[in-house]
Amino acid sequence: MIDFVKILNPGLSTTIQDRGRTGHQIEGFPESGAMDRFSFRLANMLVNNPLSTAGLEFVLAGPTMKFSCDTFIAITGGKLKATLNNKPIEQNRAVQVSAGSILNVGQMTEGNYGYIAFANGGVTTRPVLDSCSTTLRTGMGGIDGTALQHGDNVPIIESVVMPSLNARKISLQPEQIQDVHFVEGPHWNMFSEAAHKQFSNQEYEISEQMDRMGYRLSGEPLETPEKSLLSEGTVFGNIQITRDGSPIVLMADRQTTGGYPVIGTVIAADLVDLIQTRPGVKFRFVKVGLDEAMDKLVAKRKILNDTFIKFYENRYDEPIGPIRRKSVRIEKLIKQSK
Amino acid sequence: MDYSYFQISEQALEVVFPEQIDVQENKLIQLVARKLIEEKAVGVIGVIPAYHTLTVNFDYDLTSYHDLIDEIDTLIETSDSEQSTEKTIVELPVCYDREFGPDLDDVANFASISVDELIKLHSSTDYFIYMMGFLPGFAYMGSVPENIAMPRLEVPRKKIAPGSVGIAGAQTGMYPVESPGGWRLIGRTPVKLYDVTDPVLKYKSGDYIRFKPITKDEYFAIQAQDEAGEYQLNVIKEGGESND
Repeated sequence: MIDFVKILNPGLSTTIQDRGRTGHQIEGFPESGAMDRFSFRLANMLVNNPLSTAGLEFVLAGPTMKFSCDTFIAITGGKLKATLNNKPIEQNRAVQVSAGSILNVGQMTEGNYGYIAFANGGVTTRPVLDSCSTTLRTGMGGIDGTALQHGDNVPIIESVVMPSLNARKISLQPEQIQDVHFVEGPHWNMFSEAAHKQFSNQEYEISEQMDRMGYRLSGEPLETPEKSLLSEGTVFGNIQITRDGSPIVLMADRQTTGGYPVIGTVIAADLVDLIQTRPGVKFRFVKVGLDEAMDKLVAKRKILNDTFIKFYENRYDEPIGPIRRKSVRIEKLIKQSK
Repeated sequence: MDYSYFQISEQALEVVFPEQIDVQENKLIQLVARKLIEEKAVGVIGVIPAYHTLTVNFDYDLTSYHDLIDEIDTLIETSDSEQSTEKTIVELPVCYDREFGPDLDDVANFASISVDELIKLHSSTDYFIYMMGFLPGFAYMGSVPENIAMPRLEVPRKKIAPGSVGIAGAQTGMYPVESPGGWRLIGRTPVKLYDVTDPVLKYKSGDYIRFKPITKDEYFAIQAQDEAGEYQLNVIKEGGESND
């Protein structure tokens, strides 16, 4: 039997995402994949999945869904008040769900993107070019290449046991961005000294033009290089300066190549925080070297690694370890036969 | 070969060759890009070959910037000497008709030639695919003969039919999906260039495209065949390993 979650309300734009089609950029396909890769990985880690397992990504207003089977889920990303069968559940922890339950994710009060991971292998739609990720612009991946619709059945696999369930949680301090660190981009030297200074000194904020392709920032326009460029490959977090002097930070669904000069690239550790920032919040760009960028990324990843180690150390703790898989099944059968 | 490296981010670098649109240079970039992917270079998770650059995404758990550039140095060295003269030409049927190519007359006037001569000129050149991008299945190709290299429209069209073939300066190409655009349209191919249900593309960067003029009757016949899944594009291999 194929198990699934039925979408009762799709929310604003809920899509199936994994780590994307990085290997198919050579053919011109956008990378896609989860926007906030930290929260996405964390959700998978909480339910004992490989970190690139496909799950759901939602924007601002999350979905409502009904489960056809038992499973474990974790909700991460933007702050919200989700309920399971009308009872509040915590974010950033593994939650046991029984068949027939209704999950209402609700509105996000902080942040932009949220994630739901499902235990035992996540969402099992057929990969397209090696990825389940939905790219709305090309109509690729997910279910029929679109955002989830009312009535969609999203295939998952039943899961009845979760090692060290009670330890599978993490408390995260919300990151309010002030400084966004970047490394010099391939075209940094094409910009004037005045443009360099202005870029680092002035305050920017994210404009309303923000989506999975890119975030356009508003600020005083920069002086742009005269010379036009041949298109080059793009990278997640590249800061392009468009002809009118305003920056666009390139995101997951960006085109694989671009012809605007790239003044810098947002460091990976800060990119996830920028992605979760709403329009109107002011911040400054601060230039760092690659070593510092790397240190910050390693520190961010350490949060995940430490969490993983904690789960591992608690793997024999009650209530449910892998050995009890059969007994859970038996208990269930007894319950059903009554 | 003259090139340099630039580290774009913690997990991406770029190999930068002289800034030019040059078939030989781009062929080397394509060759190195494909070797990195096909020979599964350790830690490489994706590559983007462009006109004069090769962007490489890598996983820092598996490799480092310095290990990777050593590996790419070796690849460039071996690839530079073994570049073959083999050409893969994908022949694409195109109906150069005013219905499909509303700018046929304008381009012919621009070049001061007849429409027939324009068709002959456009279809007698093999166009090299420097890179893919922009839209799914969109190939950046060049170069058209100089006299027909008409600049793009001042005001782009809001809607261009899939399969439309156009000219924009020295570039020529096909719109694989419906899209707005400013290219001068001179014809249309009946072959579906991008299919969401089967997104494997019919051509890749490093290949050549040869446009084959067809009549309107042939256009509709091929279209029907293609829709039934019975049409195969003609792929020609020319040349081979050089003997010197």
